[in-house]
Amino acid sequence: MKCADVERVLPELLDGAPDLAFQTDFETHIKSCPACADLISDLNLISSEARQLAAIEEEPPARVWVRIAAELRAEGLIHDQESAPARPALVPTSPRRWGAWWLAPVAAALLAAGAYVVSHKTAPTVAQHTPAPPATTSNSIPETAAVPSPSVPTVAPPVPAVVAEQPAPNKAPQLLAQKAAKHATAPEVEAGPNEEDQQFLSVVSTLSPSMRVTYESQLRAVNADIREIQAYVNRNPGDLDARQHLMDAYREKALLYQIALDRIQ
Amino acid sequence: MTDQKQRSTEAAAIEQAKQGHEAAFEVLYHLHKRRVYSLCLRMVSNPAQAEDLAQEAFLQLFRKIGTFRGESAFSTWLHRMTVNVVLMQLRKKGLPVVSLEETLEAEDEAPRKEFGTKDLKLTGSIDRLQLQRAIDKLPPGYRTVFVLHDVEGFEHNEIAEMVGCSIGNSKSQLHKARLKLRDHLKFMRAEKAKTG
Repeated sequence: MKCADVERVLPELLDGAPDLAFQTDFETHIKSCPACADLISDLNLISSEARQLAAIEEEPPARVWVRIAAELRAEGLIHDQESAPARPALVPTSPRRWGAWWLAPVAAALLAAGAYVVSHKTAPTVAQHTPAPPATTSNSIPETAAVPSPSVPTVAPPVPAVVAEQPAPNKAPQLLAQKAAKHATAPEVEAGPNEEDQQFLSVVSTLSPSMRVTYESQLRAVNADIREIQAYVNRNPGDLDARQHLMDAYREKALLYQIALDRIQ
Repeated sequence: MTDQKQRSTEAAAIEQAKQGHEAAFEVLYHLHKRRVYSLCLRMVSNPAQAEDLAQEAFLQLFRKIGTFRGESAFSTWLHRMTVNVVLMQLRKKGLPVVSLEETLEAEDEAPRKEFGTKDLKLTGSIDRLQLQRAIDKLPPGYRTVFVLHDVEGFEHNEIAEMVGCSIGNSKSQLHKARLKLRDHLKFMRAEKAKTG
């Protein structure tokens, strides 16, 4: 057997399917050819070390479960919403990487984006609203989600006045963002679907009536979570982890909007 | 958690998940998340894609959990589903699930390395980080077969069925993957020796 022959039969021999007819010739050649012997040794080493890699497992980011849970709720695979256990740990023991409480309005921006898509697709009529006061500080969140609030200093640029009667798709996200920001710092949050949620549900039921019940249930659950965490944050304003949870809850709500919108589209 | 306790916990969670209990889904997720995510990461070498794929694998699992009858181990079922999710994604992206070289006859391949030359042998153990980096550099087709066989432990007949090739092709791809890895590792070792 020559080296080229070894190369040809290696795929079979290395994976445990030897043909006894050339096994003997193969072994004889290996004993007399250092290069082939080294090659086989290396390939076996690679294979055995690779198997050890399976034991090295990495932790996925926490957001993976958040997305999975939101999708399961949206698809109605989770049934016991009313008796669902409280969040596993309202205040986790491990410190969060992000301690910026002002990120809660960023989560509101996610909600605003969803509301914008809804209003843009269906050209809803927008009720009258009073003009919002201009914000006074930095541009830390996108323009489409203006979140002015006296108690939230690091927020978006000024919010223009909302058009009363004509359909104004670009105003819905600002309204929603204002509501969300107010909720982020207000002492109480509405128990059930708020005005924007109702508007969203109206659109959902128009386009897919069967989905309304499901999404209404989901919104109640996530709003209840937001209320609970908000109440905790109000009592413990310095708790950065709790504020992170609040942001996560808003993000979950935004994801619920997006999932519904993806289905509608 | 001992294996027996984990199996017991898992069995209870499966039954509760079939009833739609969120906590049960979460238990199953946390029991298997690392393995699923790590498998996706090894196959695609991209953390963001691995997140999406792990998410999709669990969603498919949870959607079908009502059909799980326990004929095979739950982890095996999940493992296979994860691989299929990744392969489907690779196909959607137009990436070759197996190397395009599989159709070449032996005579058409590029000139082989001369045997008998004084190559550095991979003596001793291989640095696992270097091995992982070398795997990341493999073409997608080679990487798929190598990860499935040498890392995850699938047999060639299983790989052939999953990726849609013959058993012979699976063996050939694996061999070529190992040869490429050997070259990569030798190169890395030589580079490291140069820099001291």
